[in-house]
Amino acid sequence: MTVVPQSGGTVARGGGANSGNLYDVLDLILDRGLVIDAFVRVSLVGIEILKIDARVVVSSVDTYLRFAEACNRLDLEAGAKKPEELTDLVGDLTEDGSRGKAKGALSGAAEAISGALKEGSEEDEESDEREKEPVRKHARATRRPSRHRE
Amino acid sequence: MAVYVYSVVATTHPRRLDDLPGVGDPPATLRTVGNRKLSAVISDAPEGLRPKRRDLAAHQDVQERLMADGPVLPLQFGFTAADDEAVRAVLEEHADAFAERLRAVEGCSEYHLKAAQDEDSMLRRVLAESDEARALNERIRGGADNPELPLALGELVAQEVQARQERLAASVLEALRPLAREENTSPATGNDFLNVSFLVTRDGEADFRTSVRKLATELGDDFDLRLRGPLPAYSFV
Repeated sequence: MTVVPQSGGTVARGGGANSGNLYDVLDLILDRGLVIDAFVRVSLVGIEILKIDARVVVSSVDTYLRFAEACNRLDLEAGAKKPEELTDLVGDLTEDGSRGKAKGALSGAAEAISGALKEGSEEDEESDEREKEPVRKHARATRRPSRHRE
Repeated sequence: MAVYVYSVVATTHPRRLDDLPGVGDPPATLRTVGNRKLSAVISDAPEGLRPKRRDLAAHQDVQERLMADGPVLPLQFGFTAADDEAVRAVLEEHADAFAERLRAVEGCSEYHLKAAQDEDSMLRRVLAESDEARALNERIRGGADNPELPLALGELVAQEVQARQERLAASVLEALRPLAREENTSPATGNDFLNVSFLVTRDGEADFRTSVRKLATELGDDFDLRLRGPLPAYSFV
């Protein structure tokens, strides 16, 4: 959680005192405020990029694919939550393999999976630690506004 | 000569603009035109004015300076009139509407709130709570190469995300509504799920801020709430 109150909370400190906060209120200055039909508005070309950043329409194929990809990636990271199930699965595979005719190939596959699991669980521990590390979240939080600025 | 128009205030407003710079480079000099009741803060309009950071800041600083001494109607950035006379004509023509809005924002400031949720944590929660999404995800991860599956998963997740964020936005609005005189929501941009302005009375500012802080604590680390204010009442004029 980050609450960013405007610094000082006082107004009228003179020339450009609040420019540092300008970004966050840009949409107010440009899109809200009194509009007088009889007046002419200067060209806002160059600032149109702000409009393009309008929230992606949720119902689009691109959004679906992006969400799906994020979920796939996410689950790999969070795989640590089911090590027992996966170990069981490997056990089953090995048993099947020993019963089946293509024994060599299957036990080979089981070994490969065990190897992947070990690597996986080491990574998971790391990612769990990172989870608790607040730095990671800050990094994410600062990335967000910087994308707007581009 | 064309003039740039910053704000409309009551003529009783002291308009202590001192040496505050106007828009343009070099900065234009601020002055006022008006009648007995209403005045507009203006300057000569610079040639080829563009929305540069400096100019936006100058526009904003005028509003902030004025709001310290009384109600102000901030114009949207970038409006110019043909000359002083055209500004006076508009003040006459819209006198009643301007006076009404000046009364509405008197003793009030705008607070602007944007809220975002960490995407990974949001997706984790959707997967944890939707058996269908989890099953689809497992199939894709398991190597199913049916191209329909990611689309189905994505659509399901997108719906869940939207529904959740709509509920969240509604609950934030509901919590803060009693503390504000008016509210004005806009479509959220980027990763945000909420973009709202509140008109808050000066007496209510402390309570309002406390409530936003409390909300942020309740929502937890996965949420990013950005509160700005007190601001000129851009959203309520």
